[in-house]
Amino acid sequence: MNWLYDSVEPRVMDEDMLKLAVGEQGPRDEAGQLARQEGILFKDVLSLRLDFQNILRIDSLWQFENLRKLQLDNNIIEKIEGLERLVHLVWLDLSFNNIEAIEGLDTLVNLEDLSLFNNRISKIDSLDALVKLQVLSLGNNEISHVTNIIYLRRFKDLRTLSLSGNPIAEEEDYKMFICAYLPDLVYLDFRRIDDHMKELAEIKHQYGIDELKQRENLTQAQLDDERAQREELEEHKAAFVERLNGSFLFDSMYAEDVEGNKLAHLPGVSELLQAYKDKFVIICLNIFEYGLKQQEKRKVELDTFNECVQEAIQENREQGKRRIAKFEETHLLSLNAIRDESEVTNLEMKVAEHSKDITELFDMLMTLEMQLVEQLEETINTFERNIMDLVALFIENVQSLMAQCRDLENHHHEKLLEISINTLEKILKGELDEDLPYDVRALFVDKDTIVNAVGTSHDLHLLKIDNREDELVTRTNSWCSHLVDAIHKDEIMRNRRRVKEIHQYVDHVQNELDNLECSEIID
Amino acid sequence: MEVLKEKVEEEEEAEREEAAVRAERGEKVVRPMEVRREEAPMTQEMLRDLEKKLSDIEMAIPEKLSTFTKDTIDISKLPLSYQSNTLKEEHLLQVADSFSRQYSHLCPDRVPLFLHPLNECEVPKLVSTTIRPTLMPYPELYNWDSCAQFVSDFLTMVPLLDPLKPPSHLYSPTTVLKYQEGNCFDFSTLLCSMLLGAGYDAYCVNGYGSQDMCQMDLTRDVCPLTVKHQEVVQEEEKVPPKKYAIKPPRDLTSRFQQEQETKKLEEIKAEEERRLREEEERLLREEDKEATQYPSTFLWMISHPESQRRKPDVEKAKTDPLHGLRVHSWVLVLSGKREVPESFFIDPFTARSYSTQDDHFLGIESLWNHKNYWVNMQDCWNCCKDLVFDLGDPVRWEYLLLGTEKSHLSLTEEEEDGLNDDDDVENLGKEDEDKSFDMPPSWVEQIEISPEAFETRCPNGKKVIQYKRAKLEKWAPYLNSNGLVCRLTTYEDLECTKTLEIKEWFQNREDMLELKHIDKSTGLNVDYFKPGHPQALRVHSYKSMQPETDRIMEFYDRARVDGLVKREETSKTMTEYYRGRSDFLSYRHVSFGDRVKKLSLNSAESNPRPIVKITERFARNPEQPADEDVAERVFLISEERIQLRYHCRDDHITASKREFLRRSEVDNKGNKIVMTPDMCISFEVEPMEHTKKLLYQYEAMMRLKNEEKLSRHQAWESELEVLEILKLREEEEEEHRLTISIYDTKRNEKSKEYREAMERVMHEEHLRQVEAQLDYLAPFLAQLPPSEKMTRWQAMRVKDECLSDFKQRLIDKANLIQARFEKETQELQKKQQWYQENQVTLTVEDEDLYLSYCSQAMFRIRILEQRLNRHKELAPLKYLALEEKLYKDPRLVEFMKVFV
Repeated sequence: MNWLYDSVEPRVMDEDMLKLAVGEQGPRDEAGQLARQEGILFKDVLSLRLDFQNILRIDSLWQFENLRKLQLDNNIIEKIEGLERLVHLVWLDLSFNNIEAIEGLDTLVNLEDLSLFNNRISKIDSLDALVKLQVLSLGNNEISHVTNIIYLRRFKDLRTLSLSGNPIAEEEDYKMFICAYLPDLVYLDFRRIDDHMKELAEIKHQYGIDELKQRENLTQAQLDDERAQREELEEHKAAFVERLNGSFLFDSMYAEDVEGNKLAHLPGVSELLQAYKDKFVIICLNIFEYGLKQQEKRKVELDTFNECVQEAIQENREQGKRRIAKFEETHLLSLNAIRDESEVTNLEMKVAEHSKDITELFDMLMTLEMQLVEQLEETINTFERNIMDLVALFIENVQSLMAQCRDLENHHHEKLLEISINTLEKILKGELDEDLPYDVRALFVDKDTIVNAVGTSHDLHLLKIDNREDELVTRTNSWCSHLVDAIHKDEIMRNRRRVKEIHQYVDHVQNELDNLECSEIID
Repeated sequence: MEVLKEKVEEEEEAEREEAAVRAERGEKVVRPMEVRREEAPMTQEMLRDLEKKLSDIEMAIPEKLSTFTKDTIDISKLPLSYQSNTLKEEHLLQVADSFSRQYSHLCPDRVPLFLHPLNECEVPKLVSTTIRPTLMPYPELYNWDSCAQFVSDFLTMVPLLDPLKPPSHLYSPTTVLKYQEGNCFDFSTLLCSMLLGAGYDAYCVNGYGSQDMCQMDLTRDVCPLTVKHQEVVQEEEKVPPKKYAIKPPRDLTSRFQQEQETKKLEEIKAEEERRLREEEERLLREEDKEATQYPSTFLWMISHPESQRRKPDVEKAKTDPLHGLRVHSWVLVLSGKREVPESFFIDPFTARSYSTQDDHFLGIESLWNHKNYWVNMQDCWNCCKDLVFDLGDPVRWEYLLLGTEKSHLSLTEEEEDGLNDDDDVENLGKEDEDKSFDMPPSWVEQIEISPEAFETRCPNGKKVIQYKRAKLEKWAPYLNSNGLVCRLTTYEDLECTKTLEIKEWFQNREDMLELKHIDKSTGLNVDYFKPGHPQALRVHSYKSMQPETDRIMEFYDRARVDGLVKREETSKTMTEYYRGRSDFLSYRHVSFGDRVKKLSLNSAESNPRPIVKITERFARNPEQPADEDVAERVFLISEERIQLRYHCRDDHITASKREFLRRSEVDNKGNKIVMTPDMCISFEVEPMEHTKKLLYQYEAMMRLKNEEKLSRHQAWESELEVLEILKLREEEEEEHRLTISIYDTKRNEKSKEYREAMERVMHEEHLRQVEAQLDYLAPFLAQLPPSEKMTRWQAMRVKDECLSDFKQRLIDKANLIQARFEKETQELQKKQQWYQENQVTLTVEDEDLYLSYCSQAMFRIRILEQRLNRHKELAPLKYLALEEKLYKDPRLVEFMKVFV
């Protein structure tokens, strides 16, 4: 395609080339003079034009962090690359190049206008990240399949599209098809789509669209469902009682329990198992509900705490602002007075006075800050205590409920053991009427085997319960300690910031005074 | 004795006045007669007519001028019920008489009851029957306060002839309304009638009131309009301290010192109070001395209430020697009906409500409503404070008629009564058939208030009330050409000589002016406007209408495009407050310098004051980071400096600042300086790299320069607007046009014209219809012998005659046209002949004349020809139409049928 440039040597995008371009395209006149004086940093550049440069490879652009508009048209670029860092890019022009596939655009989430006119692209894809896309120019490419258009349905903001010059545009139904499947489109191939056309297209392709819509809706609904479920689980996890609102724990106990499952075939065990399961699930549900309730409580506690702390900080901030405002008034006045003063003794006196004012302000602000720190510390400690208590209570109660689970298990174990031994005796005596599966019968060889089997099953169950409990306890504790740590850390950060701010301000004020003094003395 | 003498004097005076009035009236009547006599002789009829008219006039005059005595009321026009008593009423009067006798026998030390005074026709009527419960058709008169206000506005107060006795006459409310005058009994009867009609449990009270109340003397009362509404301080709901609320810092001030401080303050206060008390006592002593010098002051005051009111008043009321003896009548509203939570009194003169414990009410003799009459049997030693208004308690309240209105003692029964008032009579009968006697219906006619009277309210639409240090004047709407409806003048002193402030209320002004408040002491005028002023003005306070003086204008900011709320001006500054702007501007302050004297005498160009400084403040723009969102910018124009202050970040206490100096455009060598680091001084809360760049600062400065220009332009425009508003206000003040609602059919000229036009059209239409109904058969029917039934033959003849007559007329008409046509043609021919003969000698003018004549004649001929043809065409049709009509004529139709 680019036979025009075939004879020309490809150029490399290097520092000099970029500097030149930036300098040429930067501010003009007086501002340009200033810009030249200071030099322009690449990261301040908002717009860059690099057309007709015979660039083969996109390179060295990583410094242009804030670039909004990039023109790379009329080069011999073959691959889209090196644009990953330009996340603020809104406008990207890559027309009249030799690009064969769309790629490397996954980080450009702000892109609104993309031009790939006159390239060698045959498939529209890898544009998923470009959710804000409004204008897409893909004319004079090698796109041939209509599925490419259906791909474009995901861009809700897409209004302008050009596809002329593609094999697909040769098709008879081309326009109608696009109008029907992209109903929000306003301009197609540089022309406005009239409403009449849209209606016609819609009627023509109604069945296809309806089907497509149906499919899309289904997928959407599925996604929504999944998300809702995920959110719910997330919520339960935050309460540390996820998956306790059912028989999940119970089922997991028996999932790996080979012996237990085998023993379930014994007469009377299935009923026993059922009863056991019911009771177990009820306890699990108890834990679950209790957990949610506690979570609510903790949340309320945390919210109240945050609110109070915010209020305190806000109040303190207002006071500080008032002080500064008051100071600023006097500051201006005394600065003026000092400026106007001619007598040296008076001048010195005034300067000294004002320095005193500044120190006073500094002391005042620092006092305020220290006061707040003290107050907050006390509050934070109270909160810490309370939340610890809450968590401890929660853990204690959950543990007692878990103990109930264990009791149930023990009880069940005893019963099972009894039944097993009875069965063993029966088998030994040959009184057993029912047929047992072969592998189950294999257990009833002697007493040790059966007792061992039942014991293994029991141990496994207890282990599962213990694990669940441990998980809950550790997670709760870690959450608590994290929370408290974060609060402390935030408070410390806040304090540091404020102290730094105060220092900075006072330094600035002092500087102002000093500068004045210096100039005065020099004068 | 002195009282009597005074009374005689007063009567004499009244007579004298009347005589004077009569004399005046006589003159008025006589004079036009004389004038007429000099004119051409009049017919007897005219004379009689005139006499009649004059007599009508004569009737009207005394009514207006009279002091409302019985001889001025035209009794003859009153209905019969006014002039006589029905049997039942006679019976009732007898009952009342015996009741009165028993009462005086049992309580010989009490004054006789006010039971059946004479009405305007000198007929005794029981007071209860004088009450006529009426619900007024105006929604404004549905509540007691507006009712009372109306009565007090509508009637002029006439003091009782004898302040110590109830009046001998009690006129009907209709008469009182007609003459708009009355004493306290008339007032309370009318008010009670209205309140009962509106569903209140109201009673007329005959009792004793304080002097001020009886004489409607408000000069010692503070005008209710001047009393400022006390701001109800809303108790802030105490938020329970939150769980984690921080503890306040420790209070390190000494409590002992605080206590000492408060103690000292209290001492000072006590000292002050003592001093004030002493002062007061001293004043009082002086007053007493003054009072003793005029022992008969009170008598003089009684007979001259007007002059008494004008007399310099004193702060403290003098002790009234007739205290507790002055008869007054007011209205009692008992709780229960119309959701009245507590019983209260209404003084009908002032329309104020008082609690039943009030000091102004010194005792109650009796009270009544339209159903019964009760005598108070309780002791009034402590005014009305100990009275129990339980009318069902026969020990406290002696009733005239048994059990008309049931007691409050038996609550259930009372409720029943409340539910079905109509059944009262029945219930009564069952209870006590022998003794019961229910109150006859009122003899008074339905009370009616015309809409005009209701709107005018006060007699002649004007009323003046004198309060303590204040005067209230009221006018009917549209009475004053500038829309003034109410004026309250407040005075500094009790004599009402030094005006303190004037408040004027307006209505229906086209410029939406609602209230004008003039403070005489400071010279400050404040105008308040309703929404709808062309410049969205809300409040305008000023000392003079000159521009560039102190003034404050407030606006309805929702109605303005620029969201201006308030503009304050002094001679050197202008401050504007904005709200709800898209550029977040909330405040702009402009300081002006002195005018520079212009050298050139080119005075056509205006010389605006130079702007020294512009300060603009902005609200926070949530879309920008705080460090880039300007909070305040100050353009120091004379110093060529621009100061910027940015908004404070949410978690910071300091804000960024930046100052641009643009002093040096050119350096000392003459080179142009674009930008140097010392031209921008900035303090940044969090220093950022890009803002340090000169380029950034240069661009910012260029932007600010532009904005400075814009701000200056804005300031200039604001000045212009002020001038415009002032001009507009002056125009409005001069014109003071009033708006008239389109629903106001009486005042709205346009609708009136439209209505009249419609009426005229209707009238014309009617005339045309009458014409159209001309009877074409009438002349022929008249020929027939009257009052006989037409025979068929006669009918036929009538028809034929009618037709032939019509035919004849058609022919005549054709002939007439023909004759005219021929005449015209002949004349034309003659003229043509004449022309041909004299063609040679004719002048040009004559020829022109001839030609024009010819063309006109030809035109006439052609028209006649057309007419003739048309007539010929239409005549047969017309003939047929008439024939058909005759066939269908109701008078002939029965005869015609046979033939058809």
